[in-house]
Amino acid sequence: MKPQPSIARPEESPDYFSNCTHCGFCLAVCPTYKLTGDENNSPRGRLRLWSEEAAGRLPRDPWTDHYTSECVGCLACEPACPATVPYGEIFERVRHEHVAARRATPALSLRLAAAAVAHPALFGAALLPARVLRRAGFNMHRFLFPGRPAVIESTSAYVKKLMARQRPTGPRVAFLTGCLMEAMFREINFATVRVLVENNVRVVIPEDQGCCGAFQSHTGLEGAEALAEKNRRAFGPLEVDAVVSNSSGCGYALGKALQGHHRVRDVLDFLGDLRPVRRVRASGDPTRIYVDLPCHLVHGQKLSGIPANVLDATGFRWELAPRAKDCCGSGGVYNLQKPENARAILAEKSAFLNAAAGDPVVLATSNHVCMMQWHSAGATGLVTRPYKVKHVIQLLDPGEEFSPVPVQTTP
Amino acid sequence: MSPPDLELQLRRIITRGRVLVSPAQLAGYAADGLGYKNYPPDAVVIPADAEELAHFMRCAAGLGVPVCLRGAGTSLSGGPVAAQGGVIVHTSGLRSVRTVCPEGFWCEVECGVALNALDDVLKPHGLFYPPDPSSGPVCTLGGNIATNAGGAHCFRYGVTSNYVLGVEVVLLDGRVRRFGGPAGGRGPWREDWKRFMIGSEGTLGAFTRFWLRLLPLPEKVWTFRATYPDLRTVEAAIHALVAHASFPAAIELLDPRGVAMVESSQMACGLPKGSFMLLTEIDGPGVLVDARVSAVAEILRGAGSNDVVFSDEEAMRQKLWKARKAAGGLLGQLSPDYVVQDAVIPKRALAEVLQLVYDESDAAGLRAVNVFHAGDGNLHPNFLFDSRVPGELEKVELISKRLMQRVVEVGGTLSGEHGIGNDKAAYMPMIFGPDEIRLQLAVPAVFNPTHQLNPLKVFTGRRFAA
Repeated sequence: MKPQPSIARPEESPDYFSNCTHCGFCLAVCPTYKLTGDENNSPRGRLRLWSEEAAGRLPRDPWTDHYTSECVGCLACEPACPATVPYGEIFERVRHEHVAARRATPALSLRLAAAAVAHPALFGAALLPARVLRRAGFNMHRFLFPGRPAVIESTSAYVKKLMARQRPTGPRVAFLTGCLMEAMFREINFATVRVLVENNVRVVIPEDQGCCGAFQSHTGLEGAEALAEKNRRAFGPLEVDAVVSNSSGCGYALGKALQGHHRVRDVLDFLGDLRPVRRVRASGDPTRIYVDLPCHLVHGQKLSGIPANVLDATGFRWELAPRAKDCCGSGGVYNLQKPENARAILAEKSAFLNAAAGDPVVLATSNHVCMMQWHSAGATGLVTRPYKVKHVIQLLDPGEEFSPVPVQTTP
Repeated sequence: MSPPDLELQLRRIITRGRVLVSPAQLAGYAADGLGYKNYPPDAVVIPADAEELAHFMRCAAGLGVPVCLRGAGTSLSGGPVAAQGGVIVHTSGLRSVRTVCPEGFWCEVECGVALNALDDVLKPHGLFYPPDPSSGPVCTLGGNIATNAGGAHCFRYGVTSNYVLGVEVVLLDGRVRRFGGPAGGRGPWREDWKRFMIGSEGTLGAFTRFWLRLLPLPEKVWTFRATYPDLRTVEAAIHALVAHASFPAAIELLDPRGVAMVESSQMACGLPKGSFMLLTEIDGPGVLVDARVSAVAEILRGAGSNDVVFSDEEAMRQKLWKARKAAGGLLGQLSPDYVVQDAVIPKRALAEVLQLVYDESDAAGLRAVNVFHAGDGNLHPNFLFDSRVPGELEKVELISKRLMQRVVEVGGTLSGEHGIGNDKAAYMPMIFGPDEIRLQLAVPAVFNPTHQLNPLKVFTGRRFAA
C-alpha cells in the first residue's frame, strides 16, 4: 500500500510525539488496555501508531482509526506518565484530524446534537418536552436519572430572583450553566445556585455564554474554537473572583478556553475554600454516600478530589467508591459511541454497589455525564439493588426555602 | 510460511483470544521499554487464557516461525521483542490471582498479573511479595520471573528467585510441566529445576502460572535521606550501612548529575547543588525498628552528612522518596531516548566505574545520570541521547561496551535485574568463556533445541532455523 497523506507533525513542535519513551506506565491505568489486553489499545500503543504514521513509516490503516476511536479520553494516562506526554492534547488533535479526513464519522444524532448545543436557547427549547416528561417522572432512557427540572424558568432567571431575595455579599462568581445540564438536568443548576447563594456567594450568569466545547472535543467535530471564542467574549471581561462550573468535564473544557482570562473552578473545589454550610441529618441516618471522582476532575483539572470538608458538609456518612479515580466508561459521549466497551468498564466499576453497606445507598459524583452512566448500571441490570445517583451539590442543597441570612461567611 | 498462511493458521489456533496481523497492529509490539529499537513481529496473538496459551504452544512447532513471550513490554533489555520476526505471544489475558493462602504464606498467580496488582490483593491479608522493580504498577510477574527481577528493596529481601516456589511451564512439545509448587523447594523433582526457569528470559518455555512465597507486611518503616558533598563520604556511608546490624532494606543513590536534573525540574525538593543523595530504609516490628533509628541517623551523619532527614510517617516518607522516584521520569522529559545499563560491581569499585561513566559521556558530548541501587552495587547509568541524530546511538553503544569491559575487569557482571535480552547479548563473551557458554547453551538445547523460543536473546548465536 502506498503511504497516503496523514497526520502531520505540527510545525511548531517537531518533538510532538517523541516525548514518549515507551516505558509502558500508562498501560496499567488505561481502561481499554485493561479491557482488551491489546498494546495498541493503550496510550503507548496509540502514540506509536500516530507517530509512525506522521513519520511516514506506517501507511494509513483502518486499525489506526479503530484504536484511535477506542480511547475513552479519560486522561488517566497523563498523571501516570513519567515523561509528562500531553496525551489528551495530542489525542484531541488526532481525533479532530480523523473526523476531518472522514477516518471517523460520528453518528448523525451526535452531529445534530453538536450543532444544537452551539445554540443553547434552541437546544433548551427543543428539549422542553423532555423536561416536562422528566419532571413528571417519565425517564424513558437508560441514561436519564430521575429529577424534577424547572420546565420554563431558566437558571439565569432563577439566579436573578434568588439574588434579589437573599442579597449575598461575598465573593462574586460567574456560573457556566452548560447545555445538557441546563436543557435536561436543570434541577442540578438550581441546587448549585442555592448552595452558592446560601454560602454568601454572589452569582452572575453571562447571558451570551455558549457550550463549553467539550462535546466537540469528545466527538472530534469542528466548532470548539468558535465556542471558545464566544465564551471568551462572554466571560472574559467580567469582574469576578472565579468562573465556576458544576460539571467537571465542562469546567475542564471551559478552563482551556478561558486560559489567560479567568481561572475556571469546579464548584465543589470552590466551596471547599469557603467552609460551606453544613446540612444536619437525623442522628443514625442510615444513608451511605459513595463518592466517585470524574476523570475530568482528577486527571483533566488535576484536582486531588472533592474536598473532604464539602463532603462532610453533606451531613451524610460518605466514603470514596472503590477505585474512585478510575473511569466509569462515560467518557463524554463514549457510552453512545462504544456502548459495549462503556458497559464492560461500568460493569467492573459498579459491581461493588450490589453488596455495598447502607440503605439507602447513594452514588454521588460531580459530572452529569458520569451520573447518566452510573444510572444506567441500574437501568440495565448491572446493579440489581436500589440506589440513587446524585450530584454532590444536590446533597448540600438547602432546599427552596433557606435561611435568608447567610449562616457562616468567614472565608 | 507466507503471512496469509500464518494468519490462517493462527486464527485456527487462537479462537477465543486475538490475532493481530495488520502492520498498524504490529507497530506497538515492535519494541519493549527500549522504544528506539524496533523489531516488528509477523503476528501477535493474545490468548484468552492459560488453556489457549497451552494449545498455542502445542501447535507452535508446526508454525515454523520464532515465538516470543511478552508481558507488559516494560523490559529494558530487548527481551520480549521479535528479534528474528515471528509471533509474539502477549500474556495480558492471564491476569488472575488464583489463590492467596495466608496461613501458608504463598499465593498462586497467572503470568500476566501486574506486580502491584498482586500487592493490592495481598495487603488486606497483611502480606506482601518483596521484589519491587520500579515498573511495578505495570510489569508482569511473568516478565519478573523471566528476568529474575530485583528492585530497591532487594538489598535486604533478595531478588525474585528467592520468592518463587514453583513455576508452571508449557514446553515446546505442548506438555505442561510444573517445577516446584506451593509446597516449595523442589516439589516432586529431585533437583531444584525451577531455578533453571527463573531468569531464562523466555528461552525455555512459556510460563503460565507461579506459586510465590510471601512475607508479613513490615509493621513499620523508617525512611532516611542524606546528602553528601562527594563520592568519598557517600561511599563511607554506604559501607557503614551495609556492615551495620540494622540491615537496611534499601540503599539508593542519586549522583550530582541526577540531583541537578531533579532540582532544575518542577520536582525540585531542595537538595544541595553538587551533592550525592542517599536514601535508605529500615523496616520490621515497631519497637525493634524504632530502637534502631538513632543508630542509622548516626551512621549517616558520621560518614559526613550534615543534612539527614528521616521519618516514619507515610506522607513524609513519600516526600523523601520523591527525588529518587522522579528521576526515571525526568530522563524521559529531558531527552527523546535514553539507555539504562544494569551492571553490578563490587562496591569497592564504585568510584572508579562512576568516573569512567562521566569521562566517557563527557568526551562523547552526551549526558549521563546515575540513579541506582547502591547497597548491592547494581549501577544504572542512564545515557541520554536522540536516536534521530545520526551517530548518537552508536556513541552510546560504544560507551556501553567500554563500561561493560571495565565492569568485567573489576569483577562485576552484566546485569543485575533487567536481563540480557538482545541488548546485552553481545557482551556475554566478555564475561563467559566458550566452555561456560557451551554449558549454558546445553539447557535450551534440551528444552528448545531449535531456538524457536525467543531466538537471538541472551546468546547472539541462538538463531532459529525453521
